[in-house]
Formats: sequence, C-alpha cells, structure tokens
Amino acid sequence: MEFYDIFVYFATMIGIYSILSLSLNLQYGFGGLVNFGLVAFFATGAYTGALLAVNDVPFLLGIVAAGMVSALLGFIVALPTSKLSVSYWAICTLGIGEVVRLFLLNEEWLTKGSFGIAGIPRPWEDFWGDTYYSFFYLFFVWFFVGLAYLLIWRLSNSPFGRILKAVREEDDLALAMGKPVFIAKLKTMALGASMAGIAGALYAYYITYISPSDFTPMITFLVWSMVIIGGKGNILGSIAGATIIVVFYNSTRYLKDFLDFPAETLASLRMVAIGLLIILTVLYKPDGILKEKEKRYPLD
Amino acid sequence: MMSISQILINSLLLGSQLGLLALGLTMTYSILGFANFAHGELAVVGAYLTFFLCVSFKLNFFTSTIIAVVLSGAVAVLCDRLIFKKLREAPVLALIIASLGLSLLLRYIISAIWGPDPLSFSLGLAIPYRVMGAFITSTQIVILGVALATMVFFHILLHKTKMGKAMRALADDRALAQDRGIAVEKTIVWVWFICGCFAGLAGVLMAWETALWPELGFNIIIPVFCAAILGGVGNVYGAVIGAFLIGFVENVGLALDWSKVIGLLGISTWDAPLFIPTEYKTAISFLILVFVLIFLPTGIMGSEKGH
Repeated sequence: MEFYDIFVYFATMIGIYSILSLSLNLQYGFGGLVNFGLVAFFATGAYTGALLAVNDVPFLLGIVAAGMVSALLGFIVALPTSKLSVSYWAICTLGIGEVVRLFLLNEEWLTKGSFGIAGIPRPWEDFWGDTYYSFFYLFFVWFFVGLAYLLIWRLSNSPFGRILKAVREEDDLALAMGKPVFIAKLKTMALGASMAGIAGALYAYYITYISPSDFTPMITFLVWSMVIIGGKGNILGSIAGATIIVVFYNSTRYLKDFLDFPAETLASLRMVAIGLLIILTVLYKPDGILKEKEKRYPLD
Repeated sequence: MMSISQILINSLLLGSQLGLLALGLTMTYSILGFANFAHGELAVVGAYLTFFLCVSFKLNFFTSTIIAVVLSGAVAVLCDRLIFKKLREAPVLALIIASLGLSLLLRYIISAIWGPDPLSFSLGLAIPYRVMGAFITSTQIVILGVALATMVFFHILLHKTKMGKAMRALADDRALAQDRGIAVEKTIVWVWFICGCFAGLAGVLMAWETALWPELGFNIIIPVFCAAILGGVGNVYGAVIGAFLIGFVENVGLALDWSKVIGLLGISTWDAPLFIPTEYKTAISFLILVFVLIFLPTGIMGSEKGH
C-alpha cells in the first residue's frame, strides 16, 4: 500500500466519522439528547444504501433513501420517549441499538444475516477508473461533511437552534416559556438520525461489504468519544474529535509491529485508552478541546 | 412445548440474577441520580476475580467467591472516589457519560488481561434433578439459594441497621437526610460497596451457570435497567419483583406459541405455530421497558424519581 493510499483511506474514514459525530453533536451537543443507539441509525442507513445499490437503484437515490429510512427510525424512537428524562433516553436508545443489530443478524431474508451483504457496487467507479477513484470518493464524502456542517451551523444560529439549546439547558423552563420542546426533540432526533444514515450509506459504498459485526455498540462509543473530546456544541470540535479518534484508533494497529503484544490485547488496550480519555475529559475538561462558542445577546 | 414448571424454574433463575444487579443499580440511581452504565461491568469484575483466585491462585471456589465479592465492592468504592465523587454537583449528562467511559475502561482492562474469549470455572459437572417434570441442576439450586439469601440479608440490613436506615433516608431525599445529620458521603461509600458486592456476586453466579466473558455485563445491562425501572427507581423491593417479572415474561414470551394467542384474541387466524426466536430475547425485555416507560413511568411499585 502506497503512502498516499493510507492517507486517503484515513481521510475518507475521518469524513464518514465526522458526519456521525456531527450527527451526535446535533443531538447531544445542541439538544442534550443522549443517544446511546447511534449505531442503529448508521446501520440502518448502511443496509438501506447497500440493499438499494445491489438492486441497481441509482446511488444518489440510495443515499437519500438511507437518510430518510434512518430519519423515520429516529422519529419512531423519539415518539414515545421524547418526554422522558436523560437517563431513560440513554437506556432506550441503547436498547434500540441492540434491537436493530438483532434484526440485522436474524432477518436473513432481508439482510443475509451474519454473512452480510457483499459486492456492493461503488458509485461511478467505471467513470473515474482505479487511479482517481479513491480521490473522487474522498471528495464525495467530504462534500457531505460540508453539507452537514453548513446545516448544523445554520440551525444553531436560527430560532430553532436557540430552542434546542434551551431544551438542553432546562427543558422544563423552555416548556414553560411556551416553546415546542417535544417537537424540537423529535425533529432533532430525526435530523441527526438521517445524517447518521447517510454516513452509513457512504460507509457501505466505500467498504463494499457490510455485516452486523460492523455495527456493534463500539461504533456508538467511538463517536461519543469524538464528540466529548472534540467539544460538545462546537461544530468544528466534532470534526477535530473524529480526526483524533480515527487516527488514534487506526494507527495503533501498526503498533503491533513494534510491540510484542498479541493483536487482541492491543485492540483491548486501545479501547481502555478511549474509555480513559472519555472519563478524563468529563472530569478535567468538560467542554472538550474546542469550547462551545457562547453567543452574547445585548440586553437592551 | 416447555413444561410450565420448567418455565418457572428458568424464570426464577434469571430473575434472581437480574434481581441482585437491579438492587444495586436502583440504589445508586436513586441516591446519586443517574443511570450507571458501568454497573454490569462490576459483575464482570467479580466473575473474573473469582476465576483468577480460583484457577490461578488455586483457592477453592467458595473462598475465591467471598474474596472476589468483597473486592468488587472495593472496586465500586474506588470508582466512586476517583470519578463520581468529583461529579456530585455536575449535570446528569456528565455522570452518565463518565459511567459509559468507566464501562469501556473496566470491560477492556478485563479483556486485555484475560482475552475476549469465554472462560469457565470448570467446577465439574452439575448433578441434574427432576422437579415436577422440569430439570434443575445442583448448581442452579445453589444459585437460587444464594441469591434469595442475599436479598433477605439486604432487607434486614435496610431495616435493622442504622446504615440501612441512612441509605433509605438518602434514597428518599438527599438534602433532607443531610439536614437531619446523616453522614451523606459515608453512606454513599457504603451504598457503592454493597452495590459492588451484589453485582460481583451476581456476576459469579451468572458465570458459574454458563461462562464468563468480558461482554457478560454489557449483555445483561438492558434487562437489569428494565427491572429497576419496572419496579420504580429507588424501590429495592420493586427492583426484585421487576427482575422476577422480566425473567418470567422473557421465558414465557419465548416458550409461548403466539399463533394460539392471536387466535384467542380474535385478531386473525394463524395456522402455523408462531414462536419468538430465542435470538430476540433481549428485544423482549426492551419491549417491556418501552411499554413501562410509556404507560407506567413510575413503575409498578411507584417511585417519585426518574422520569
């Protein structure tokens, strides 16, 4: 593997994870919604995109459908749970992640079970050819990162964004002020889920093979570490967090050449480090490396 | 079709293991005000410490279990001192996320030391008995006995000792308890210790019946939360009853031929037998949880906290 191949692979994965961390940042960082089932929306998008692509549906349509199916799942999840407290949200979404994984594993008629879906075609591969394809796909992914960035940036400066932040800080107060708290939660959940779904479709097209083992709760926890470390409520922080964690997570693979550890032990130690990073950030740098920009409103 | 007595025995076994975990979870939840996602990992810590003492140190199983249970209590206290104590005044979000980080930390430390593959205590074959047409092994009888005895012990502790009364007061109203001169921090340490011990014991019992692997705790955390919420957060008796209910519904849900149920309800007719696949076991407890959260957010036994 050439050096730039590794670089392009890293950059593409950082892009896909950036979309995921932006999605979680919208839900958790801005809306205060603790989504411990993020992987469910990622997986739903990946399978929707993959199944459509395998059946010769145009790619852009597949990506849009992935976003919509995931958004629908997010909406359904939020519908009964939108009035619950933080802890209950966390438990419910964790459960959703598990239920979706069980569904993917057991409904073989649709998802081919643990075998997964292989041979997913890559978008416009013939057009770009082998040499330029990886570069094209890198830009393709980062185009969606840009879209997500703009969307969240626009939202956070809109009246809806202010409602969202009010919901995060004190949802009873926002409710008492007559703000549509529950609708805001539903919208945020669906919007964030659709972004995670699109990230899923992009992932499926990039890797060309997906199986339920790609969508363990680990993905959720990795994305959480990105948002926590990057800084909740800071859009650029999500991308910074994704970069740090993807580089850390993947580069420690090459450590086995230098350290005399079994690969399994190394994989576990990597997760120990991520767990430790989450705890230390919560304890000593609760705003993450990039603090949320406080907006001051003149009082007159 | 499984016999009714077999379903009952399986439900009791699952319920007693879930109950031990739900007890500790509901206590920390109501006193500290957050759902501790690292609770399942305390069970794994107990199980692996027992394995370590038993297999590597060649202590006998009984002694290893006692030492490991006390040590898991100590681990719980240590986690509180190092992490949660610093976040007493922090928002709930911070506590939940810290517990998520802790859960990763503990699970993968264990996985790094003992590897990700399942291990077994290998204590020899259990002797099966037949009770009213159902099978129960000697191991399972001991598990049931130990779990039930621990629950009774906890009841006595809560009602007959000063510490137990302090715990109940704290669970009820922390500020009021503090004003009435209860040593809050000291009581919290004891709550963590007991919660860790019970979780560790539950871990040993679960691992004894089947096997131990690092994901053991994470796999059971959803039903444990279900039990605690079903019983009403902060209500220890509710948690135990909730645990047995979850155990029962899970086993009945899997054993039942749903085509007959649909027929009886008159919704439609279904000719072929219709069973919920065993793989969806976790999904059943999750469905119960969603149902409870929508229709009975304070649980069956009532709770003033939570939702």
